[in-house]
Amino acid sequence: MKYKYWWMCLQGLSNRTKRNLLERYKSAHAIYDLSEKCLRQDGLLDVRQADIFLRERKKADLDTAYQTFLQTGASFVTLEDTEYPYYLKEVFDAPYGMYVKGQIPQTKKIVAIVGARRCSAYGKKMAQELAYLLGKQGYVVISGMARGIDAYAHEGCLQAGQKTMAVFGCGVDVCYPTENRSLYGRIMENGCLLSEYAMGSQPIAKQFPPRNRLISGIAKYVVVVEAKEKSGSLITTDFALEQGKDIYVIPGRITDVMSAGCNRLIAQGAGIITSLSGFIEEIEESHFSDLTCGNAFEANEIILEKDELLVYSCFDFYPKSIETVLAESGLELLYLLSVIMRLCDKKMLQECFKNQYVRLR
Amino acid sequence: MYSVVHTAVLSGIDACLVSVEADISNGMPMFEMVGLLASEVRESKERVRTALKNCQYELPIKRITVNLAPANIRKSGSGFDLPVAVAVLAAMEVFPTDILEDMFFAGEISLEGRIIGINGVLPMVICAKEAGLKTCIVAKENVKEASLVPGMQVIGLSHLQEVLACLRGDAEVSVDKEENKEEIKKETMEKAYDFAQIHGQRLLKRACEVAISGMHNMLMVGPPGAGKTMIAKCIPTILPPMSQEEQLEVSKIYSVCGALKGMDQLIQKRPFRSPHHTITEQGLIGGGSMVHPGEISLAHGGVLFLDELTEFKKSTLEVLRQPLEDKQVCVARVSGNYCFPADFVLVAAMNPCNCGYYPDLAKCHCSRQSLLRYHSKLSQPLLDRIDLCVEAAGVGFHDLQKSDHSEESSAAIRQRVCRIHALQRERFAGTAIRFNSQIPAEKMEEYCVLGTEEEAYMELVFEQLALTARTYHKLLRVARTIADMEGSEKITVSHLQEAVCYRGIQKNYWESGI
Repeated sequence: MKYKYWWMCLQGLSNRTKRNLLERYKSAHAIYDLSEKCLRQDGLLDVRQADIFLRERKKADLDTAYQTFLQTGASFVTLEDTEYPYYLKEVFDAPYGMYVKGQIPQTKKIVAIVGARRCSAYGKKMAQELAYLLGKQGYVVISGMARGIDAYAHEGCLQAGQKTMAVFGCGVDVCYPTENRSLYGRIMENGCLLSEYAMGSQPIAKQFPPRNRLISGIAKYVVVVEAKEKSGSLITTDFALEQGKDIYVIPGRITDVMSAGCNRLIAQGAGIITSLSGFIEEIEESHFSDLTCGNAFEANEIILEKDELLVYSCFDFYPKSIETVLAESGLELLYLLSVIMRLCDKKMLQECFKNQYVRLR
Repeated sequence: MYSVVHTAVLSGIDACLVSVEADISNGMPMFEMVGLLASEVRESKERVRTALKNCQYELPIKRITVNLAPANIRKSGSGFDLPVAVAVLAAMEVFPTDILEDMFFAGEISLEGRIIGINGVLPMVICAKEAGLKTCIVAKENVKEASLVPGMQVIGLSHLQEVLACLRGDAEVSVDKEENKEEIKKETMEKAYDFAQIHGQRLLKRACEVAISGMHNMLMVGPPGAGKTMIAKCIPTILPPMSQEEQLEVSKIYSVCGALKGMDQLIQKRPFRSPHHTITEQGLIGGGSMVHPGEISLAHGGVLFLDELTEFKKSTLEVLRQPLEDKQVCVARVSGNYCFPADFVLVAAMNPCNCGYYPDLAKCHCSRQSLLRYHSKLSQPLLDRIDLCVEAAGVGFHDLQKSDHSEESSAAIRQRVCRIHALQRERFAGTAIRFNSQIPAEKMEEYCVLGTEEEAYMELVFEQLALTARTYHKLLRVARTIADMEGSEKITVSHLQEAVCYRGIQKNYWESGI
């Protein structure tokens, strides 16, 4: 194991080079034991890379380094192991090894859900529900545990009692962003956290795009929930395209800046999700009948009075102020206030900012 | 020869009578002033000496002693020059001293003998009148202000020579005599701002009416250009008119600050103060080496408007806590303790975030950190003292154009507010409480009775909104006012629902990421 660990940690060689060496010599142990002459002659490494290799190998503290790592409670997975994510093996620059916290779910049914950090109530709802439905169908949802869509996707999947995977742009022992602490713990127990960066690595901006390639690489399908015109999620879809994954998009209104990136992807030929169950039917290639399993679909049973319905229909999945609805509904101010409060009590609306409300359903 | 002249010294917004005694006797030639004097009063002797010389009165080569009694009060301010000069002249027997008995003097003197106006003449003259004095002689520019006190003969003079002429009885002073106006002029409210000018913003207007009806402090949150400042400026127009005592008290404060010069009537418009957010603590509550009232006292009886609440220094806002509770502020300095009245309605305005457009994600570009930082600028104890919080929504073109249905005028709203105030006076008669906003927690059960249905509703709200005891009580106070406005003795669910709408801002507005 310690040789695998050493080979995984070795800096200065690209993922591609490491993979070529592995293909020729079959195991990390064999690579470690290579003679200098052999190494310099086989042509896989240039002079500089060979120097790095030899210098690193001379360091005698391999055992202690490995022991220290084991004490952190994390583990790792390498291309030599069967647990290594199935689809990632196909990716040409897949890392030799990744740090892991938790258990990697052994399934090929993996869907990535990515999207904006700052998302609307609509995006939040879609991410959470899609993840929930996927989870119920036995799919594992993978994402990046960022704020917004990522976190809601993990949340939805966990709610369905399914495992979920999060790929980090920092060390697996660094919880970023910190407010997702509780989510971090739950994912670790119910799924896994993955990272190709060493333990304790801090979140640096340049580490995030490569992280996105792992998200799309591990998944079979990539779903974009909400993305602005310039969004990090579009980096993920670029990787997904290179890797030959199917991309699906949840469409938005054309006037909605939060969905501009999504709508552009649709124009470029991405799959459109017109209904969540329809999407699952499509990827399952079978009829999906369990329409009522989503937690949102229970909601419609709440019966609203005429005026409640009128006011509810004036609100939307983006924040709207009382003043706007006052003009639209034509109701008396004081009456409108009491209707809004009633809708809040029924959990149909939520005050998301001072006197601005969004639909919860 | 001995003489005594009456003047006064300011202490807070009140004055206290001071006797200036002068004595000329044999001994070493010198001019000495005693009586716990501040440096500007000590300098007075140089001004008086030179002014007298320039008026062709050489000081006698004798020992001149001037005492300002009582000696335990610190004398500060520039109004002592004139009384000192008159006292010295009287001691020199330039004119008969007996006429000084019921006269009052206050004014600064320049080296050539010109009399210059001072701040705080109004409280001084009030004090003189209470002491039974009949005539007061002040600088010309202070005449109008001094004449505001009925039953006092006020003479405004511009030069020391004129004073002498007047005291000798040489000149006809009636020319300068200001007729006392027994009748205060009819109220002439400036009609620059009026709620009728504001289109739309019905929620905000309603919240203003609720706030003023129960004298609740209020916070407006909204994007730039939504009309927060304009609404705030309209608020004084719906406050009930000031009573005579209130007018006098407010006028006294403004007099001390020198803002009353040239006014020929008491201040009748309720004050509206909107200090810039760079204001210091002293500027806000009062202070300085010569203690003067701060903005909160200048807003006494009216509205203190803090625009861009989040831009104020946190420590500055903290000092508001005590005055908001006590309705007055006590400033302790080496020179003594000063109490200024500070009974005002606090109206604050803030943007929802740094760029001002949160939660409109199409416009707002603030990062999460900057949103949280923005929220952390707010002082929680201050927010706790604000009962009402309301959104000032951005105004659309449609609202600007709309002129088909006329908006209600301030006068109409004011009538209703007056009615609610009268109702509260009646309810709280015999207690220290004056308005619904002041109902203490222990009296809640007495004044804010809830039925079973209402209690069930509040229980639901309490849990759903994670209220605390304090926010719960605030909500009930506002609901009490709303019920009063509807003429209902009982607080109903719809009153509570409206009150819930006005509850304070919460951290999760910024945290939830919409």
